Amino acid sequence: MTKRVSLLLLFLLIFAAALTLRVSRYDYAMQDRDAIMAPSSAQHSTGTDELGRDRTVRVAAALLIGLAGATVAAAITTMIAASFGLLAAFSPPWLASILLFISDVFLSLPWLFLLMMVRSLLPLTVSPLVTAVATFLVLAVLGWPACARAIYRGAVALRESEWMIHGHACGLRPWQLMRLHLLPHLRPLLLPQFLISVPAFIAAEANLGALGLGVGEPMPSWGSMLLELDNSALLARSHWIYLPIALLVVVLLILDSFTSEVGASA
Amino acid sequence: MRSLPRCFLVSLVLPALVAIHAHCQAAARQQGEIAWAIHYDPKTFDPAKVDDQASELVRYLTGGVLLRLNRQTGEPEPQLAESFHVSPQGTLIVFKLRQGLRFSDGSALTSADVAWSLRRVLDPATQAVVAEEFISPAQVTVDTPDKLTVQIHLPKRIVGVGKVFDEIAIEPANRPSEGRVTPGPFTVSDYQRGRYIRLSRNPNYWRRDGAGVQLPYAASLRLDILNNREQEIALFLRGEYDLIDGLSPDYFALVAQRSPQSVHDLGASLNTEQIWFNQSPAAPLPEFEKAWFSNHGFRVAVSEAIHRADLARIAYDGHATPAFGFISPANKTWHNDLLKYPHESVADANRTLAAAGFHRSGNQLYDAAGHLVKFSIVSNAGNAARQKMAAMIQQDLAAIGMQVTIVTLDFPALIERLMHRQDYEACLLGTSNAEEDPSSMMNMWLSSSPNHQWNPSEKTPATTWEAEIDERMQFQASSPSQSDRKAAVDRVQQIVADWQPFIYLVYPNVLQAISPQLRGVKPAILSPGPVWNIEFLRREAADAKEGAR
Repeated sequence: MTKRVSLLLLFLLIFAAALTLRVSRYDYAMQDRDAIMAPSSAQHSTGTDELGRDRTVRVAAALLIGLAGATVAAAITTMIAASFGLLAAFSPPWLASILLFISDVFLSLPWLFLLMMVRSLLPLTVSPLVTAVATFLVLAVLGWPACARAIYRGAVALRESEWMIHGHACGLRPWQLMRLHLLPHLRPLLLPQFLISVPAFIAAEANLGALGLGVGEPMPSWGSMLLELDNSALLARSHWIYLPIALLVVVLLILDSFTSEVGASA
Repeated sequence: MRSLPRCFLVSLVLPALVAIHAHCQAAARQQGEIAWAIHYDPKTFDPAKVDDQASELVRYLTGGVLLRLNRQTGEPEPQLAESFHVSPQGTLIVFKLRQGLRFSDGSALTSADVAWSLRRVLDPATQAVVAEEFISPAQVTVDTPDKLTVQIHLPKRIVGVGKVFDEIAIEPANRPSEGRVTPGPFTVSDYQRGRYIRLSRNPNYWRRDGAGVQLPYAASLRLDILNNREQEIALFLRGEYDLIDGLSPDYFALVAQRSPQSVHDLGASLNTEQIWFNQSPAAPLPEFEKAWFSNHGFRVAVSEAIHRADLARIAYDGHATPAFGFISPANKTWHNDLLKYPHESVADANRTLAAAGFHRSGNQLYDAAGHLVKFSIVSNAGNAARQKMAAMIQQDLAAIGMQVTIVTLDFPALIERLMHRQDYEACLLGTSNAEEDPSSMMNMWLSSSPNHQWNPSEKTPATTWEAEIDERMQFQASSPSQSDRKAAVDRVQQIVADWQPFIYLVYPNVLQAISPQLRGVKPAILSPGPVWNIEFLRREAADAKEGAR
């Protein structure tokens, strides 16, 4: 699959989800108590869930929330990783050792338990939107160390390059060196790191949500919708219950393919 | 990070493979064996130290008791005791034992064994839960005038003699055996932690059926330790288990579809599901929130706004009954049939809130000081019906302008918040009532109790109505007159309905799945449900097939 096909498919999915939310007369939280686990119909094209909520609308909202949250979180984590990696690369050796040690400590932490702990420390009254923001923020804050290691190695290699020495000799200030020389050269490293993080965070949110620790009800998320798959009685009642997992797998495969193509061309 | 999406796919497939593998792990059934699943290992096999459900079940199945409460009639029936007599003052109970009683190892059972077992239960060092029923266990004395007579002298009358002695298993004097030597129908013969408990028939059990056949009928029982509903149901449908007590409403229709004659809905249980607001003055909440939660009108309005029929129909798939009080209609002796309670009406709820000083602005509700009314409801994770109810209540309360956040926590974290930190606003949980007698609920209603959940451990009752509940509950616990007790309990039910410290939601129905091969079952809503008459249960059809081989 080429980059363009992947991008096109992703764009089509986002467009379809946005259009669904725009034209549907249902809100993702609206309970139709006379249509519990309803089959596909003119009113509910993919049926309803256990509380009579329109499944199409909820899947569309989960797709947009998941993609938007993961993209922002990936951008934040890439920025943290870039800052940390560059700081370590251009610091005195003793400070670089400390910074790398901190990153190693973060890498060795059991991130799932850490996520659960941080998520459970949130105040009880926060709105579902805040829980969504907090969930992705926590992912971003915990997701940078591996990326920072890679950037550190790249920056160290660039630090000793002739054009960096030449820039120093010409009197360029550190921020000018960074903007004009370092970041453009690190771009082939930063972009794949960013792209890898997006599906990783989508999957991480789905895992957290499946543990009941992700985005708060009634806001839909991949994780909360995957919880339905835990119940064979529900699986027997409607095949549309597989829609969220099917779509999630499609989204992850598209992102995975796109990242591979970008990585190969970089 | 590169392979995380693939890891995610693997994480979906792995549990399925593990589950499929686990399906093959039920222990082999022995001839004439009845098998079912319990969800946790028993904490103890010592019948005197039982304080959890699994241990209680093992005690029930193995323990020989003086009296057994008939789970259908609620009447005590003599077991090891041939007869018993309670003095008019209720301070002397005399048991006459049956002739020729023996333990499972063949040794004789006499009044000395009964006295030893009773004294052990009453000893504070044993920490027996049932000892609390004797009110002042240290002042109870036990005499044995002869080998068949036991006299128990009590400082005060105790309520529910049948229930109390139903929980005291008789053990061989000075030889506690943790269920391996008993005068009961079964003995513990094999225990594999985390896998199963096997109980074997006691060859010296005293009881015979009407035709003179030695009981129990079943050669053995196997209780698999299995905390996975999906597997439990799969094994039941494959015929490897004979029953499921407490079938989840989600799965009722699924099991009914595959085996219609197996499922039984016995109607409302004694259990309740309810929400309550934190009214503890020590709670780390803003003062204005505490003012809402202690406002009578606020609580009544919440009660009026909740559509209980929808909760029963949707969250329990129709297998629940709307609840308005703490005593279920299944408890015919104690339920107040004349109970008056706030009726469901959003318009009434809005009027009640307006009268209590709240006002609407758009879709949002504000108190008199202008604070937006929003709060969280905490509940435990892993209970699908409860989570659905919470989501529905969230929508119901939105109709009266309240913004509700649902928070599910794992049970230890929830208990920490409720019992120790009191750091919560509202809570949705259930109460399991194993007994019909309201005396068993004293720890929830007395204002001084740590389990008085909306305001635990009050030094003095915070309100006049709580003082009246204290007074009436204490009165009913000591009154010898059944009609006086009923009147007192009826009044407590009415006070609770008027003041809504607990906002009752539903009484979940008792759902059971029982294999058609299992004969002799007499369904009962009281614990231990379908196995309460375990001596009379047998796998008739299976035995016939096995015999033919």
